[in-house]
Amino acid sequence: MATETEQLESLVNRRYEHGFVTDIATESLPPGLDEDVVRAISARKNEPQWLLEWRLQAYRQWLEMDEPEWAHVHYPKIDYNAISYFAAPKSDDDRPKSLDEVDPKLLETYDKLGIPLHERARLAGVAVDAVFDSVSVATTFKEKLSEAGVIFCSFSEAVAEHPELVRQYLGSVVPRRDNYFAALNSAVFSDGSFVYVPKGVRCPMELSTYFRINAANTGQFERTLVVADEGSYVSYLEGCTAPMRDENQLHAAVVELVALEDAEIKYSTVQNWYPGDENGKGGIYNFVTKRGDCRGANSKISWTQVETGSAITWKYPSCLLRGANSVGEFYSVAVTNNLQQADTGTKMIHIGPNTSSTIVSKGISAGRAQQAYRGLVKVMPQARGARNHTQCDSLLIGKDCGAHTFPYMEIRNPSAKVEHEATTSKISANQLFYCRQRGISEEDAVNMIVNGFCKEVFKELPMEFAVEAQALLNVSLEGAVG
Amino acid sequence: MSRPSDDKLREIVARFPTTREEDWKYTDLSRARDIAARWLEEKPAAAASASPDRAAAITDSIDAAWLVIANGELQTSRPPDGVTVGKVDYIPLGDSALAEFNAALVSDGIRIRVSGKVSTPIGLLLIDSAERTSVSQAYVEIEFDDGASAGVIEYHASRGRADQYANTFVTFGIGEAASASHVRIQDRGRQHVQTSKTRVRVGKDASFSSASFDLGGCLVRNDIDIDIARPGADVSFDGLYLAGDGQHIDNHTRVDHRVGPATSRQEYRGILNGRCRCVWNGKAIVHEGADGTDADQANHNLLLSEKAEIDAKPELEIYTDDVKCSHGTTVGQLDETALFYLRSRGLDRNAAIQVLTHAFAAGLVTRVPVPAARDAVSSLIERRLEELAVTIEDEES
Repeated sequence: MATETEQLESLVNRRYEHGFVTDIATESLPPGLDEDVVRAISARKNEPQWLLEWRLQAYRQWLEMDEPEWAHVHYPKIDYNAISYFAAPKSDDDRPKSLDEVDPKLLETYDKLGIPLHERARLAGVAVDAVFDSVSVATTFKEKLSEAGVIFCSFSEAVAEHPELVRQYLGSVVPRRDNYFAALNSAVFSDGSFVYVPKGVRCPMELSTYFRINAANTGQFERTLVVADEGSYVSYLEGCTAPMRDENQLHAAVVELVALEDAEIKYSTVQNWYPGDENGKGGIYNFVTKRGDCRGANSKISWTQVETGSAITWKYPSCLLRGANSVGEFYSVAVTNNLQQADTGTKMIHIGPNTSSTIVSKGISAGRAQQAYRGLVKVMPQARGARNHTQCDSLLIGKDCGAHTFPYMEIRNPSAKVEHEATTSKISANQLFYCRQRGISEEDAVNMIVNGFCKEVFKELPMEFAVEAQALLNVSLEGAVG
Repeated sequence: MSRPSDDKLREIVARFPTTREEDWKYTDLSRARDIAARWLEEKPAAAASASPDRAAAITDSIDAAWLVIANGELQTSRPPDGVTVGKVDYIPLGDSALAEFNAALVSDGIRIRVSGKVSTPIGLLLIDSAERTSVSQAYVEIEFDDGASAGVIEYHASRGRADQYANTFVTFGIGEAASASHVRIQDRGRQHVQTSKTRVRVGKDASFSSASFDLGGCLVRNDIDIDIARPGADVSFDGLYLAGDGQHIDNHTRVDHRVGPATSRQEYRGILNGRCRCVWNGKAIVHEGADGTDADQANHNLLLSEKAEIDAKPELEIYTDDVKCSHGTTVGQLDETALFYLRSRGLDRNAAIQVLTHAFAAGLVTRVPVPAARDAVSSLIERRLEELAVTIEDEES
């Protein structure tokens, strides 16, 4: 047992592979937040007056709000004036028109991550809008997309070129004052992605954005808006890795999805921000607001997430099921190790008739990590025939970790059918013994069992992501069983 | 113990929990606060003596040694052999405004001690009766010596048309290898308010099994807190709530597994019809080092009316890995196929509903841990289900 423990410890203590810093000079605003900073961000991005006003109102509302304390996470108070709210790669004025013009150092970064941008983009048929720090530096496959009429660009570009669309949908799913972090994001968001899929169009490829946080002390405030017009379909992939840092970094993103009649949005995330070291030093605070609005009849929004990174995760991708027969899905694998803390889950708000939702949440907690599933299933009185099934399982690895579930069910319609199941246990000794007996090493056995545990979620991921997700899981957990 | 000044009491009432607190999110105690404030204003004379004979039906139908506590005061007590009844020396202040309110006003804290194996169940008839706005407090401590065993039946009733608010605290201390069985029947007047707290401390290798039935009351909040601080404990408790028009019934349960191995199991079921709201919040906390814990929570609800609401929240907080914990919650309605089947056999709709709802409730009745109470519970439930079924809207009409 002792040697096993040692072996396990060495595996658990495997270091974060993607922790390196690309040395590119960044042009940042000095730390601090006031109306002038908001104005400066807006001016630097050449934003129209209405957007500046929108940001300023968000800032004023944020000032009146209190930081939420209900989540099952603990961290020192954040000094919002010690954060710099804008960082852009130096070549901001002269942005590259194609991959060839992209700073080679940047490409090298992607190389180290095993994501050779152009290669991958070409081979996998994925258009990549790579967000390096706060400004998009490369967008590919634009032409192919524009043939189909799909708009896929950075948020700043969308503000400049499609202001009517941005104005119509921005904040329509996550209002400025929705919560503390959403208000902060609304005031200072740097950039992000914008997608519009026109009526009846099936987006010809999976859209993907890679994020990296790269400047010390710079919060990353992404803003993503995906609009699927009537009868359209789009699959969006979001993934991220971040270099090693000693100081905590704040990441407060907002993602808004709008699905109109008969439209479908599939949103997949692999989140691998720097989780901090074995002693909980450093790591990203990931306080994200994600919400999809099934606005039209027969619309569908599906969230799939694999969360392995971040020191603290505070994230509840949700669905407003407004349209009749609309469908919401949430598939999640969350892994916490060492001193990571995660409070994550979803909200399914059933408003329209015959709406249905599925929640599958798999949590794996190891080391001294604490993980909580927090979910709400709400069936409004008018939501006749609403249907929900929730499955929420936790796997505990080690004596000092924790797994918690806080599911809320608020049901106000007698024709609703709501089911919630949850289990918590450790990897069964019998299963392990069985595998070992067949000559499978402990490490591989645990891998198999954990992958099996997560399979329901992984099979929802697009191929490219499923591979990355499994690899990530193995790095985080291989053999971490006692 | 002298009664605190009215100002002090008003101050306590003002601190009653509000819906801003997570534990009270779904239950608004305004009505209790309002009754308490009016009662303090009206400066009532000594509580009118309640007439326990009105509840004689229940004491007659259950073969137990009944202690009658009327308006919070112990009236009659004929304890069986092996059981002594006395007064508590001191009532702990507790950790909430409701506990403080209780401690400040309770006239007799009752202490029951069980030594040895007692075959006759101990009945506690808590009856309140008033023609004016009234507040009553009851405080009962039940101590089980090591190896002792007994059944305890609590029956809560109230009479009278005036507004009433009852605030009760019952504590079980269960010694090593002792075994406590418990049945709680809450059958208060449909316009009366109750908050109750049951605290259970389970000893080494001891067992606690309980069943609780909420039939009456307009605003009811029950808390049961079970503390497992010694290994080998076996805890099992059920609850059934049957709510109709104008009722709000909230059950909060909390099990603290501080050491293992230990087992806890709970199952709550609810049938809701008419304009009513029920809340079930189950919480199991497995503390660091409580290895070998097996905890299970289940909650099933039948929602039969457009105006009914159920808020369910099964919580697990687990701080160690050698555990087996699970919970399941369902909300649904009667199976139309089953209804159709029964109707095709010649039952009218109401009778068919009766059969199905009774079957839904029956699972818990057969598990009532005090056999002497089983028949009485069964007929009380049948009566209540008949009342509820009458008002079920016929969807076909």
